[in-house]
Amino acid sequence: MANDRLRALEDVEKEIAVVLQCAGTIILELSKEKHNASLLDRQLNQFQTSINRVESELSSQIRYLTQVATGQPHEGSTYSARKDCQMALNRAEYARVKLGELGRTCELMLDPQT
Amino acid sequence: MATQRVLPQSKETLLQNYNKRLKDDIRSILDNFTEVIKTAKVEDETQVSRATQAEQDHYEMHVRAANIVRAGESLMKLVSDLKQFLILNDFPSVNEAISLRNQQLRALQEECDKKLISLRDEIAIDLYELEEEYYSSSCGQWDGVELPLCEVFHRRDSWGSPTTTSDPSNSSMEDSERPIAQETMPHHLNGHGSSTNEQS
Repeated sequence: MANDRLRALEDVEKEIAVVLQCAGTIILELSKEKHNASLLDRQLNQFQTSINRVESELSSQIRYLTQVATGQPHEGSTYSARKDCQMALNRAEYARVKLGELGRTCELMLDPQT
Repeated sequence: MATQRVLPQSKETLLQNYNKRLKDDIRSILDNFTEVIKTAKVEDETQVSRATQAEQDHYEMHVRAANIVRAGESLMKLVSDLKQFLILNDFPSVNEAISLRNQQLRALQEECDKKLISLRDEIAIDLYELEEEYYSSSCGQWDGVELPLCEVFHRRDSWGSPTTTSDPSNSSMEDSERPIAQETMPHHLNGHGSSTNEQS
């Protein structure tokens, strides 16, 4: 859910870039002696679509935030689960180290040259 | 209106500010772009000379283009502020992210512990076999302190008691019973003699 909203905001950023790019393309085309009417129409439609999309998306995000924001800090944490997981990984690592030592000891005992 | 929320003044002010910035920036982009398009039209009659009018139009277009770019950058800043506000204050998604992360960490911990337990069981089986081999050979001796695992299982089988372990606290009780148990100890499964009886 959080990723969807953040992804939507990243799409809005791309749309803003498209708006500026379309504006620049239109003005560049108008600066020429012979205008390509179809290109102008396409770019203008794209410009209007993008700017409407930017406005509507940002308005809806602000509306959503008005509904869910409480002004209080969030006090949730994943600390306990992270600690438990870290302890489990430490147990596994310790077991691995001990088994490694046991293996080396067995190899030393079995190796006739040492 | 029945669902109107009472936000702290700072948060409400902040969100109103975001709305205002959005409206202003969009309005700025549209107005400046429209004016640039209008200025691009070549007028037949001008109040000043053509060169002056062209220079004025050139300067105006520069300023309006800069305004469009500034409004675009202001919108990008607004999007960045909204992202930050969303991450900090969107409690439903923060709760979901926390619970998802907790689930992942707990699953990893359980898998780790499950693998350690299965490893322990495998090593216990191997240890049982090794101790059986060692203590039933001529090299193996009991020092009376720790009960080997194979003997634990043998005694458990002979008594029918599920609670015998190689715990030192039990070994003292079992030491007193050892002379009797040694006489009644069954033959080793591999056919080795009861070497401990011979040694004692």
